[in-house]
Amino acid sequence: MIKYVSQRLLYTVMLLLLVSLSVYFIFDLLPVDPARLVCSKQCTPALVEANRHRLGLDVPVLQQWWNFIYGLFAGRNYAEGAAALHCPAPAFGYSFSRHECVTTILAKAFPVTLSLAVLAFILWMTLGVSLGVLAARKKGSIFDKASTVFVLIGTSLPTFLTGVLVVIFIILKFNLVDPLEIGNWSNPFTDPLGWLSTFIWPAATLAFAYAATYTRFTRSNVIETMTEDFIRTARAKGLSEKIILRKHTLRAALAPLATMAGLDFAGLLGGAIITEKVFGLDGLGGISINAVTSSYDLPIIVGTTIVASAFVVVANLIVDITYAFIDPRVRHA
Amino acid sequence: MNKLIIRRIVATATAAAFAAGVAIGGGATPSTAATETPVTGGTLQYFTHSEQFPALDPANMYTGRDIAFFGAYIHRTLVQYRPVAGAAGSSLVPDLATNTGVPSNKAKTWTYTLRKGITWEDGSAITCADIKYGWSRAFATDVFTEGPAYALAWLDIPEGAYAGPYKKTGQDLFDKAIVCSGDTITFKLKRSVPDFNYFLTYPTTGPIKASADTGDKYDLKPLSSGPYKIQKYSINDELVMVRNDKWNKSSDPIRTPYPDKITVTFGLNEDVRDQIVLDDSKPNAISLDALQPANNIKFFSDPANADRRMNNYDPYTSYLAANVSKGHLDCLLVRKAIFFAFDTQALINLSGGVVYYGEPGDSPVKPVLGMDYAPTTGNIHDPNYKIDGNPEYAKTLLAQAKKSCPTAYNRATNKSQGVIYYRADTAGNKKAAVLVEAALAKAGIVVNTVYKPAGTYNANLTAYKKQTDILSGGWGADWANASTVIPELWGEGCCNYTQNKTTNEYKGFIRNVNKALVELDREKQAKMWHSLAQFGMDQYWYIRTVFGKSQQTWGSKIGGIYYWEPQGSFGFGQIYVKK
Repeated sequence: MIKYVSQRLLYTVMLLLLVSLSVYFIFDLLPVDPARLVCSKQCTPALVEANRHRLGLDVPVLQQWWNFIYGLFAGRNYAEGAAALHCPAPAFGYSFSRHECVTTILAKAFPVTLSLAVLAFILWMTLGVSLGVLAARKKGSIFDKASTVFVLIGTSLPTFLTGVLVVIFIILKFNLVDPLEIGNWSNPFTDPLGWLSTFIWPAATLAFAYAATYTRFTRSNVIETMTEDFIRTARAKGLSEKIILRKHTLRAALAPLATMAGLDFAGLLGGAIITEKVFGLDGLGGISINAVTSSYDLPIIVGTTIVASAFVVVANLIVDITYAFIDPRVRHA
Repeated sequence: MNKLIIRRIVATATAAAFAAGVAIGGGATPSTAATETPVTGGTLQYFTHSEQFPALDPANMYTGRDIAFFGAYIHRTLVQYRPVAGAAGSSLVPDLATNTGVPSNKAKTWTYTLRKGITWEDGSAITCADIKYGWSRAFATDVFTEGPAYALAWLDIPEGAYAGPYKKTGQDLFDKAIVCSGDTITFKLKRSVPDFNYFLTYPTTGPIKASADTGDKYDLKPLSSGPYKIQKYSINDELVMVRNDKWNKSSDPIRTPYPDKITVTFGLNEDVRDQIVLDDSKPNAISLDALQPANNIKFFSDPANADRRMNNYDPYTSYLAANVSKGHLDCLLVRKAIFFAFDTQALINLSGGVVYYGEPGDSPVKPVLGMDYAPTTGNIHDPNYKIDGNPEYAKTLLAQAKKSCPTAYNRATNKSQGVIYYRADTAGNKKAAVLVEAALAKAGIVVNTVYKPAGTYNANLTAYKKQTDILSGGWGADWANASTVIPELWGEGCCNYTQNKTTNEYKGFIRNVNKALVELDREKQAKMWHSLAQFGMDQYWYIRTVFGKSQQTWGSKIGGIYYWEPQGSFGFGQIYVKK
């Protein structure tokens, strides 16, 4: 078992290194010159070169990547003389557009993304699973048909449209939130109501799409499980439908959903880019899209990509290890 | 009334409006602005889709709106533009200094005396050494590269010899170029710069307290010398400014701060931002952005919003530069033919129309430059000019070109070659290219559009200018003097894409440019710019110019709004919140 876990950990580290290297190469291939983008109107070739040096882009792309890896373990220095800056390890780089070490930026952004992900997760699991179970139990009824309509709408409406509709026709129309305070961060421990007021609508927007998917999966899983022999046996034993549902059907039907939910949640921890952008949230998704569209801020792009990848890869690792514990065949495969 | 007469009337009216510096279609300043008594107190709110200001650090600040904004609230400079509407706004008044500068040695030396009682937000006095230190930061190109580079070009220091205050290489040279003596500061320049004092309206020329300088991080919390100070600045969240209790009115003849608190909300979704303006749901707030095109037209079409909007010439002129070097568009008649064949109306309509996008221009110098603008003759004022193109006249010009410059004629009309037009590869440009190609084809001119990667287009203009026949660009003056336009676009400056240096006309032209640059008589200098603009337009170095426009909107409880021409933005310092 130790060998299996060690092996998986090694693969995980290698995968993350590969992801970071890919980002550097992709960025290098883009037809964009970040050194020119942040140069003044009176830009001269000398100023562009000074900028390239400042941004650390005056060395080959492999060297840039190596400097990044080195910084993760030893920290990095930027600028020289009295203007020198230091980002301590683990240093993901320095953002010259935000004037901060990327690690600090990520640390500030993560609670925003985590808040959104947790609240959305609670909402979609509650709504999706409940609707799915009820639709399965009342198969063919009006309720079942209504849930099918919900699934169709939820899966077909893109999040950016749902988000804008929520903002304009719910938040602004009914004055639920001060429009200039949409997206304001509040600490959930010191100001739980403020926190809820900020995150409930983006979480609901996100949950709407996920809940639709989970309703469909739950419904089909429950219906399939209800046709299994062990359910028929339970009925033959004279157990009530409630007990059969709770103790037998749901346990079997929802197990696959748990894996899916774990991976979806991990994916969201990397940042819900569109939802964060629509609601002005400065989470990992928000800062990454701004880094791509506004400032071509490579250190932030690399930092958010690595963190997002890490969440997905680690979630996969946890699932794999859990399966290895449950099913010995996996660790010997 | 035939079309020709109508066109002449429009051209005359437009020229008159340009000369007067007035806005067309929306009004420069709302009618109520002059009649109301300003109110002190309250919270003034701004909002924007952007996640941050490009810069709070004076060393990196370059855009007019930001200079106007921070100049009104936290960054004082030795001199400032007069905070009034209209052409008078482009005149200078003393700010931290007691005068607008005393030139000597043919304007190679400029001297200023600091005002008494000027302080930082920490209560310490603003000194001559602080001004000098502020200037030194422009030389730290390893830290600051986004601000104007005039300090590097003008101060009497050999190029590259001084590396700024952080490395201190060449510090002795800098100390000789800027000399402090008590409250008097003297700038020594490489050449005569009669409009040097205009540059001193830029925050990069203002003071910085050395002990408070945190290099790159200074951008997050600059020390204030103005009537407000920064309480909070959080990117993609908000900027909060409160009154600076160390600032006193007796030391500041320009600013009268009305609101108690000023906030800027960043990162607002564009639909939310527009909805706030359309519904007037935040009456004490101002949008720092233009609305999205459809919402803009909707808002400006409603007369009920007349007191919450203005529409003015922005600081920018967009242009098409002709490559006039040998083997390209080296024939004046061919350039003229292209000019007259353009369907400018269709191109402007594609970008939002004459009311909101801009109008055909007659010079690279814009009417907002005040005395340096004068309507040229010829080009859009030529009787043969039609805004939607005059292919018939273009054909007559081409017929003449066929005889006088057959090589250029063949190039322009040959289907296998044509006029090469480099453009950034964007969806908008592709739509415009169809219109350009169709309009010029009517006159028999073949256009070969070559798309270049949008991300590197601007970075490669210097290389492209030698390869292409036509290149598009845009330019805004740095201050109210054509010295920051004509030399930059047609002379030795950064952005001359015409290749005119290879022509016979250039030698005389640049001699006159250099004379104008050092002319100390401002009236005379303005006339020299008029004549130089006319010369370039007569040469059709630019085969199309458009004077761009911009629109601003605000809430119903906002007062004191006017359009500040020198910065192309609100005059922020006089804005207040009505009770």
